[in-house]
Amino acid sequence: MSIVKKPGAISNWYLPGIISGMIFTLRKMIYNIFHKDKMPTLNYPEEKYEYSPRFKGQHVLTVKKDGSIRCTACMLCATNCPAQCIKIVAAESEDPSVEKYPINYEIDVLRCVYCGYCEEACPVDAIRMGPEWQKPGANGSNFTYDIQELAYRPQLKGGIESRLDEQERHDFGI
Amino acid sequence: MPKITLNGKSIEVADGITIIEAYKQLDEPIAHYCWHPGLTIAGVCRLCVVEIEGNPRLQIACNTVVQDGMVVNNNSEKVKTAVKWGLDFHLINHPLDCPICDQAGECELQNQYMEFGKYDPEMAEHKVKKRKVVDLGERIVLDTERCILCSRCVRFTNEVSKTNELGIFNRGDRSEVGTFEDKPLNNKYSVNTVDICPVGALTSKDFRFRQRVWYLKDKPSICTGCSTGCSVNVYYNEEGIFRLKPRFNKDVNGYWMCDEGRDIYKHINKENRMVRGRYKKDGAWCSTLPLETAKKAGEKLRTYSADQIAVLVTGQYTNEELDVFVNYAVNKLGTKNIFHWKNNPDGWNEFDGLLLRGDKNPNSKGLQKVLQKHTVGGEWKDLVNQIDKFKAVVVAGPENLQAYPDLKEKIGTLARLECVVWATADDNIAFEGLMDFTYLIPQKTSVEKSGHFTNYNGLEQKVDVVTTLLSDSLNLEETVELLVGESVDMSQREKEDMHVMKKNYFTTERGRL
Repeated sequence: MSIVKKPGAISNWYLPGIISGMIFTLRKMIYNIFHKDKMPTLNYPEEKYEYSPRFKGQHVLTVKKDGSIRCTACMLCATNCPAQCIKIVAAESEDPSVEKYPINYEIDVLRCVYCGYCEEACPVDAIRMGPEWQKPGANGSNFTYDIQELAYRPQLKGGIESRLDEQERHDFGI
Repeated sequence: MPKITLNGKSIEVADGITIIEAYKQLDEPIAHYCWHPGLTIAGVCRLCVVEIEGNPRLQIACNTVVQDGMVVNNNSEKVKTAVKWGLDFHLINHPLDCPICDQAGECELQNQYMEFGKYDPEMAEHKVKKRKVVDLGERIVLDTERCILCSRCVRFTNEVSKTNELGIFNRGDRSEVGTFEDKPLNNKYSVNTVDICPVGALTSKDFRFRQRVWYLKDKPSICTGCSTGCSVNVYYNEEGIFRLKPRFNKDVNGYWMCDEGRDIYKHINKENRMVRGRYKKDGAWCSTLPLETAKKAGEKLRTYSADQIAVLVTGQYTNEELDVFVNYAVNKLGTKNIFHWKNNPDGWNEFDGLLLRGDKNPNSKGLQKVLQKHTVGGEWKDLVNQIDKFKAVVVAGPENLQAYPDLKEKIGTLARLECVVWATADDNIAFEGLMDFTYLIPQKTSVEKSGHFTNYNGLEQKVDVVTTLLSDSLNLEETVELLVGESVDMSQREKEDMHVMKKNYFTTERGRL
């Protein structure tokens, strides 16, 4: 139970409250002018806080060495997703060594709860959650991200390469 | 009648059956790949090993005949170890393909591994690589790497379809299943090999990559592709129907079904269906609710006298519906001019010796019975002969328009009449050829209604509602009620269908809401 402080007689007056408040503000302001490095806030749009790579932010679809998408459309992420925000349409690939690939991979980020279960379920390191976290959009803009956005957005600089390589595995005799 | 004990339970079985059949009778689990009840015994997978008391070595259950007083078990440590390392041998050259393999989710290798395996593989050698994605004709893709050489498919083409396409080539760990020089596997029953393949070596092109099997539910139904009426399981989810698989029925189809029957789900899915009711007025098509179209059609029909109306029926409806419909034609419309429309009167009695018949309607026998009861019925040619006599026609049209290849021609004949009332489940471009006062009333398909179908043999089989794809389409009974001018109480139906619609919406629009 919280303690309720009863306002004293002084609070019936206007000026004492204002003056004590202004003194507090002024003291902090002068302190911050001389100790800029200790300031806890950021000038947000110009300065941005970088989260660690382990942060579960925006999804990334990884790519292979040749730049094509790593995902094999096994649908384990969609199956594991508690928010049911992943929609995959699989298709037969021209390349017989690939066989199956997603022709469409969509994540509705407004439904996504950023739990990271998709990343955990993926058997081929095709989906990761990266450190990006700010995805502003005007009201009504499309928050359903497709392959182009998930794998090749400009921030990724041509795509993030998957750790798992099919050809290496093949050469290794697995 | 030998009396045997399986896993501590005693059972009396027929003479001459094998131990594995006894296990199946008792519903006890037993691992197996190569044994299939519809095929001969091969005994190659060595997974169904059992311990027989008094026998020092493990025996395979599929090829050991029961004897009186046998005491058998398959749950001892010895058997489990044998199965486990048997499985290890099967998996030595099996690729790590599960993410892209269509069989994943209904794969026997996965099931048995979770049941008996769970070992650390002790194989240090490289896997033998074989050919992948081999095109075997119109319907099948072969992956020789995934094959465990159980030879079920080979035996199927030898014994059931008797076409002998498949075989096992090469020796040792380089053996692979295939056709001679990769000739296409294009027999009428080829997709059965996909069904019986315990792994993902043979996959169906039609179903390939379209859906993971764990997203599908299945319910029993009847194939409406021809008058054989094979028992099938319909695999569906909220997005529609994805495939049919045969269900064992010893009186009708055994374990198999034909490839043609597997395609019937396509006309049931939304893309090919008549979604809204349509009628033609002043040369333009108007679309309304199915209910309203039927009501309008009923009003129009009442302006004709009984001898101006002809009725055309196809055997694609359930017995109950046909009974109500013919009763309506005879008693309410008062016409005796009822004609049975057959898809191909010339090849009506064709039969390919296994399952497939020329009569592409599931309920021709039932229709004939109903027509006989009312002592009515003519053929299409009778209708054509006296077509100038009629002004209006009521058609209980085919649900599967693909089975009626001469549809356009027939519609051309009917377009000579003043008014056409057509109950149809499927939409077709040929309907554009109809004139003013045409009413197209959307119908439910066989998976959306319950009733009975009578097959060629007179066997009456029940179908139940599998799923609802279009919730406001009508069945023939409701259509008749509306044509008569009564109203249909949709409130009871709506509850069930609204639930379906809501569920459909949330799933099909997944990721878009």
